[in-house]
Order: sequence, then structure tokens, then C-alpha cells
Amino acid sequence: MKRLLPVFALAALGLSATILAQSPIKLSFYSSGDVNVKNLWEQNLLPMYQKKNPNVQFDLIFSQSGTGNQATLDRMAAAKKAGQASGIDLLEGPVLEAGEAGLLVAVKSKDIARLSRVEANVLARAKGFGVPYRGSSVVLAYNSSKVSKPPKTLEALLEWIQKNPGQFTYNTPDTGGSGNAFVTRVLKLGLESKDATTFETGYEPALINQWDKGFDTLRKLSPNLYNGGQYSKNNAETIQLLAKGAINMGPVWSDQGLSALKQGILPENIKLMQINPPFSGGSSYLGVAADSPNKLEALKFLNWVLGEEAQAVIVDKMNGYPGVKITAMPADVRKKFGTIAKSFSFGFSSKFGADMNRLWYEKIAGTPQPQR
Amino acid sequence: MSQTASSSPSPAARKLGRLVHSWREPVLGLLLVLPPIIVLILLVLYPALEALRFSLGFVPADNPAYASGLDLVNSNSGSLEVFKKLFASSFFSSNLALTLRVSFVSVLLLVLVSYPLALFARFGRGKLAGVARVLYLLPMFVPVVIATYALITFFGDNGWLEAILGTVGIPYHSVIRQEAGIVLGHVWVGVPFAVLMLSSGLDGISNESLEAARDQGANAWVVFWRILLPLNVVPLLIVMTFSFIGVFGSYTVPYMLGPSAPQMLGVSMALNFGAFRQPQQAVAMAVVSFVFCAFAGALYVWSTTRGRKS
Repeated sequence: MKRLLPVFALAALGLSATILAQSPIKLSFYSSGDVNVKNLWEQNLLPMYQKKNPNVQFDLIFSQSGTGNQATLDRMAAAKKAGQASGIDLLEGPVLEAGEAGLLVAVKSKDIARLSRVEANVLARAKGFGVPYRGSSVVLAYNSSKVSKPPKTLEALLEWIQKNPGQFTYNTPDTGGSGNAFVTRVLKLGLESKDATTFETGYEPALINQWDKGFDTLRKLSPNLYNGGQYSKNNAETIQLLAKGAINMGPVWSDQGLSALKQGILPENIKLMQINPPFSGGSSYLGVAADSPNKLEALKFLNWVLGEEAQAVIVDKMNGYPGVKITAMPADVRKKFGTIAKSFSFGFSSKFGADMNRLWYEKIAGTPQPQR
Repeated sequence: MSQTASSSPSPAARKLGRLVHSWREPVLGLLLVLPPIIVLILLVLYPALEALRFSLGFVPADNPAYASGLDLVNSNSGSLEVFKKLFASSFFSSNLALTLRVSFVSVLLLVLVSYPLALFARFGRGKLAGVARVLYLLPMFVPVVIATYALITFFGDNGWLEAILGTVGIPYHSVIRQEAGIVLGHVWVGVPFAVLMLSSGLDGISNESLEAARDQGANAWVVFWRILLPLNVVPLLIVMTFSFIGVFGSYTVPYMLGPSAPQMLGVSMALNFGAFRQPQQAVAMAVVSFVFCAFAGALYVWSTTRGRKS
């Protein structure tokens, strides 16, 4: 099968070349995330851009929850190795990994005029291989009619969970960033500060024993979670549990939480806040493939995404933090994110993240849970 | 064709004609089955062999999905290290135990539910039997994901069943996200196939033989035990083996209805391959699953060939 791939790729290349010769520019756009991200592109940003640039067409290939990201990277790497075009123009998602593998172009302000509006450290996080077009972080959601004094620090939160059994849960770390951020935050308890950066950007399996303290804490927490140790199935289920009053506190994504509040899925007595040290969050990046034949068009699109019009849609529809500096946004946006858009921390690197998922299942979910 | 020719050909030509004739048919047949065989080899056998080699430590450098995994066991001569690691892990053994338990219990319950339904479909008369015949087929036309959502809504926490039982004051503990939830899902999904298979087997048993038995004074139980069950044993074995293989390798039902841990092997494989970046472990689990299902498959082959002889 693998031997046939080049043949298919060649055929596809020939086909796309003939189409290109006679029709508008088609940007093949690989994106990933939850349904709200898909809707943002499909229903809002891409049609808006196309209205202004009728000669540009998008071919959006969406990977739910990023499960296809590895396959996309593998495909780009294989195409590069074989010296052929991957057929991918725009990549949203794992730009750092793709960029470090030499698969993306580095974004520069001479190509993207609005790059100056972006926070320098957020740009540096992806080593300049993509523009951060929106951000969000995990925050703590709580039921204000049941919890009058929400915990403000991680320590206080852990203590609150132990004292209020059955009222907190988080989703399994592989199924969504909110539970993942909670596990990450707790595992960071045992990290030595000199290795913190390695955990976020590198990989060193020998360091994993620094997680022991965090896993111990999580294991002790488990009998006091919802239903005596039940984890929610994904980001959305935590929100549903909060909505029906089954739990009174849980980690949620800022954008999903705000959207749920706006749509009335979450009742008004659910409040969002950030704890100290903050849960991890991040920006989503948009990069341009190094082998793209439509680099100029793709970079033009990136510049547009950083503009007021697109950013306003992101803030409005996604309840995401804007990708540009908050000071570059109007006052009402600044007010909206007042209590939560503080700085956020960063999660583990993808390889450490994979190990974290595995060990969480082995050490936390996999250990016999007390039955009611 | 050559026989109808007006002039009789020489014996040598006739021999040649026969040879071409006898040669053409098998070739044509072979050509006809070639496309599915090629697909089978390219899309099933070749990847399966590659996966088997990978699980034995031969890491294909040109396959990034495999080569980029974490904790790879590399060996040039093949080793069982991956399987040793797998069986040493208590997480895997509890997953395997759960998978076996769920498979056996699901098959048993499926047969217990389906057999009476099949008997009713075969011997029932009147409107009620007609309704039953439609109802047992219903799950076949509902996609599994939708069905599991329906089961969650009905049996889950704060679901319909809890609300109904609550009105009469009966306490209820949800089976969703528990082992029992997986079994429930599999029985629901498996009923149409099982009943269809069993009742078509029962249809093949003539009314005369049953009437003859009744004339001899056999009661319903004796008729079932001495005539229906023995004559319908092959469909029963087919139902059991097919259901076992289906449940053992299932993904959607345990993913939707099962607990976070332990997990059925299908779910665990997907997690290992994706979220844990442990493709080698995932592939080794697939090999182990294949071995278990091969036993069930052998039982099926044995039962059908045995049926043909008798």
C-alpha cells in the first residue's frame, strides 16, 4: 500500500495542477479542534474572506479533537522526504512540531504586516512558525449559589475537593484540554524548576518520576470525585454535569464556558475564574506549509485573520481570547475577559503529554476505584 | 461447442480444444476473484503482516506512524519483548480480563434473550407475533452510535428509567459507564442478527417432525430439548462465534458505554495508538485479540463443516 502512495500522490498532483491552471486559487487548509473551531472556519471566517477575495477557495480538512494531527504531520514529512508536494497549504494546530521538522515557513513581519500586534512571547512559543490567531485557557467553573468562597489557589482547590466529596470532576486527559490542564497543573506540583522548560518543550523520559507526587495527589482525590471516582468523558460532559447540578465545580475551557453561558446551556449562577498558579492554556496557531505553491495567498490570509474584522468574530463567536494583544482590541472586549484573561501557563510537550495520558490511565483510572 | 461443428475435426485438434476449454474456465474464474483477492492482500494481509512484524520488534523506518512511537522495542532478529512487556502490565491484564468477561457474558445473555424471541417468531401466531417480528429487527436499522446515545438517555444518570422508577420510589444506580453498560449495549445491538439466524434455522425444521413427536406424547420442553435444539445447533454456534468475535473487537459500544478504566481492548488499542503514542503496544494488543478471535473462528469453521457432513 505504501508503495502505491507515491503513485496516488503523483496522480493527485497532476490533477490539482490541471485544476489550478484554469480555476481560482485553492488553499488546502488542515485544521483541528472541537466543533466550535470547525464552525468558526466553515460558517464565519472562510466565507467572510472569500467574499472579499472571490478568487480564493478553501478546501477545509478538519480533524476532530486533533486526532488526525499526527497523520497530517506524517504526510507532510513523507512528502518532503520524497521531494513531492504534500498538497497542504495552511496548517492550523501543531505548527511548532511541523515548523521544527522544516515543514512550515517562518512568519515574518515583512510578509505579515499585522504581526506586530501579536504578543512577542506568544509568537516565540511557536518559534515563529505560525501566527497565534486566537487564545483560550482552562479556567475553573463553579456554581456560585452553592459555593460562596471559591478556592483561589491550586492548594485551596485540592483541599476543597477533599472536603466536598462528589462535587468535582474532570475529564480523562486524552479526551479534552480541560481535564488535561487539571492533571498537568497537579503533576507540576512535583517538578523541579530547572526542568520545567524541558517538560514544556522537550522530552526526557528519565524525568518522569518527578510526576510521582502529582499522581499521588490525584489518586487520593479520586474517591472524592463525582460518583465516587467518575471522570467525565470530554470537555462538554463537564459542562453538562455543571449544568444539571451533578457537580458544583470543574475545569472548563474559557471559550467553551463563555459560549455555554451565552447560549444558556450553563445557568447564570455558574461563574468562571482563574486560579493561581493558572491552568494551562494556549494560543492556536496558523502556519503556512513550506512546500505550498500558494505561499503568498496563504500569508495574505494570515494577515487578514489578525485584522479587526476577523478578530472581532473570533471574540464574538468563539468567546476566544483575541490572538492580538488585548490592548489592540476595543474596550468592550477588554471588559469581557477582565477576570479570566490573565496570563496562562503552558502544558507539557506532546511526547510528555502522551506519557502523561498513559500513566494517568495506568495509575489513576486503572487502579481499582472504590465502589459506592 | 466443438461437438456441434459439422465437419469432424482430427483427434489431435479435438484434444487441443478440450485442453483450451478445460483451461479457460478456471482462468476466467481466477480472473473474476482476482480483484477482491488483490484488495484483500493490499489492504488487509499486507498491513496485518507488517503489524505482526512490528510487534516482534522490526520497526519499519519508512512508516512514520510506527517509527515515531515512544518506547519502541527494536530488534533485527525478532523478539517477544513487546508481548512480555504487555503481559507484565497489570493495566493490560485487567483490560483483557474485562474484554473476556464482557464477551462471554454478552454472548450468553444474547443467546438467552434471542432464543425465546426466535421460538416466538417461528411458532407464535397472531398479531403479537407479527409485532415481535418487527420489533426484534429494529436495532438493525438504528446506527450503533445513535443507539448508544438512546441507551445513555434511558438508562443513564438522571435518565428516563431513573425518573420512572423514582415515581414509585425505587432507587436506581445507573449502569452506564460500568461493565454492565457495555453488556447491555452489546445485547441490544446483537439481537437482530441472533434472532434472524436462529429463527431461520428453526424454519428449516419441518412441522411434521414436531407433530410426530407430539403424537408420541412429547411435551413442549421435550420437543425443544430433543428436537429443536439438536437440529438447530449449527445456527446457534454461528451466532455464538460471530457475536463473540464482534463483541471482543468492538469499539463504539464500550467507548460510549464503558468505564474510563479498565477498558475493552478495542478502546485501549485506539488510546495506545493515538493518545499514548504507543503504536507497538497497540499493535501487539491487536495480535493478541486476533489469536483469541481465531479460536472462535476455528469453532465456527468446525461447526459449519461438521454440519455439512451430517
